Amino acid sequence: MKMTRFMSGQVLFALALAALNTVYASQVLQMDRPFATGEPGPAFFPTILCAFLYLACARILFTEIRAEATSRADDAVSDHVPNLRLVGPAIAIGLTALFIVGFFYLGYLVAGFVYTFLIALFFNFERSGAWGSSALTAAIVAFCVTLFGWLFFVQVFGLYLPVWEF
Amino acid sequence: MLAQLADGFLSLALPVTFLHLIGGFLLGLVFGAIPGLTATLAIALLLPFTFGMNVADALVMVAGIYMAGIYSGSITGITLNIPGAPSGAITTIDGHALMKKGEGPQALGMSALSSAFGGLIGAVVLIALAQPVSQLALLFQTPDKFSLVLLAIVTVTIVATGSLLKAATAMVIGLMISTVGIDPMVPVGRFDFESYHLIEGIGLLPAVIGLFAVCELIAQAALPSAMSRAETVAAVERPRRRDFIPSRERLKEVGLFTYIKSSVIGVLIGMLPGGGASMASFIAYAEAKRGARHPEKFGKGSYEGLAASEAANNAMCGGAVIPLLTMGIPGDAVTAIIFGVLLIHGLVPGPALLGSNFAVIAPMFAALFVSSILVFVSVLAFGPIYLRLSQINRGLLYAFIAMISMVGVYASSFSFFQMWMALAIGVLAFLLRVFGYPVVPALMGVILGPYFEEFLRRSLIVSEGDPTIFLTSPASAMLLALTLLFVWLLRIRPARQAKREGAGGA
Repeated sequence: MKMTRFMSGQVLFALALAALNTVYASQVLQMDRPFATGEPGPAFFPTILCAFLYLACARILFTEIRAEATSRADDAVSDHVPNLRLVGPAIAIGLTALFIVGFFYLGYLVAGFVYTFLIALFFNFERSGAWGSSALTAAIVAFCVTLFGWLFFVQVFGLYLPVWEF
Repeated sequence: MLAQLADGFLSLALPVTFLHLIGGFLLGLVFGAIPGLTATLAIALLLPFTFGMNVADALVMVAGIYMAGIYSGSITGITLNIPGAPSGAITTIDGHALMKKGEGPQALGMSALSSAFGGLIGAVVLIALAQPVSQLALLFQTPDKFSLVLLAIVTVTIVATGSLLKAATAMVIGLMISTVGIDPMVPVGRFDFESYHLIEGIGLLPAVIGLFAVCELIAQAALPSAMSRAETVAAVERPRRRDFIPSRERLKEVGLFTYIKSSVIGVLIGMLPGGGASMASFIAYAEAKRGARHPEKFGKGSYEGLAASEAANNAMCGGAVIPLLTMGIPGDAVTAIIFGVLLIHGLVPGPALLGSNFAVIAPMFAALFVSSILVFVSVLAFGPIYLRLSQINRGLLYAFIAMISMVGVYASSFSFFQMWMALAIGVLAFLLRVFGYPVVPALMGVILGPYFEEFLRRSLIVSEGDPTIFLTSPASAMLLALTLLFVWLLRIRPARQAKREGAGGA
């Protein structure tokens, strides 16, 4: 797939870094000037970093825009999950975010089991394409991993994990 | 010191401590052998558990992972032509050529024996040099410390693969993450957006878990199982255990001098910030080829080449720990995480560490020594099983990594916010990887950032803003000169050579 020079992922990512750097810079501006008291203060080092990152982003943008328009390398495709390059990371990130929310409201045992079940289901289904066997394997994996986590964190190391209180 | 060292070795005789060593060793073997997983990830996953461990047990376990993880990168390299870790990449050239000739077990045995030899040399050098280097480092003034951290930061950046600009950008991102929270010198909050969560700063653990474990989970989710190299092992025939012992002819072919020379190279490169196992094995391999009686065999199945690269990458382990413990400078990702393990237990790596806590650290020295021996024992015990390591179900593997890493972050801080931070850093690290920005400089930035800033500001306060203070101190000037030398040797000279060769070829 041909990508335009101005909209390539590299350019967009460099712009995103520059945007994040602007958020960082906005905080630097709220501090006293680096040598306000005659000594390098809290803003001194962040100012240097901020300036460097702007220059680096500008240089990367310049290089990428001047570079030949590239075609995206042909990655191997999944037999069972369409557009895995985007769908896979989105699922992994989404499930992890849901796990953190579930961990807070439902506790370790429920959230941990569901999370590991869905992660294992995703990887197994991507490999085999069979829902039934993937779900069965994922359920066994989820049970074992959740139990292992409980035994290790709580029983062996005595750490506190929240549980669903009825 | 000798008595404390002897106590360190004796502590391994305690069943619980020895079990930690074995557990770490096996974890390192598995993670090192599976393509995509590394010893770094294994130690990152272990980090939350170390909270509940005795410090000696934690360090012993880390040492086991380190030694085994560096060695086992060669296993799938030899059997499948796919190194399990970058450290096994050079070994793969001759190892897999030998495998194709039907000499796989001998190649695996030679790899294990060489790794054991190199590991032992590295551990001995570590034990011998740790105290003297610490005493030398105690003489360092603040500007010298700044120049030392600068050397580490610059070297780690320039040895990163790919674009130098992107590596420097990743380093700066790591340094920026380290500035979040209370200022290291003045009690002022920075970049906290008036959130009491952020005023505490971003913990080392969420940063490590995010940069390695969460990032790996996301990256693997984008990879089709058809590309997961773990599926093609089945056809390898299961050999007998005695086939893994290198024959006398093979040992003569390599020669004691090659073992020693490669191990010394490994130790020296390990001591350099940014050196790492890959560089050690590459340079030792090149040096072995240069001095070989049959250089034409290299690349086509040379035991000498295989032994040189394996001895060097395991010798690196002992070498890499020297600057960490004596000067507080981690040279690579693994030692950076070991830095975290020490901090978690209230031990600050640096010149004073060994003076006041040698007895606490001694079991780690002993563990590096003993795990080197275990490397060879392991090939005899598990050689036939090694070939099946990469067939582990990906669903099980990544469900385990996902759960352990996220719950580990919570268990270390009891903070849901830190879990969100780990996820956010993981997503950022994934994007960095996708767009060709190396992640290791970012980790080094997170770890070294507070020291870098503090030493820089303290030096400038002492000199009343005069930056020549870094040149007037002899040690600092020498370290800055060394930094420039590394930039010349590792970046400018190779780039010029490549340009000249390109022009010559045109």
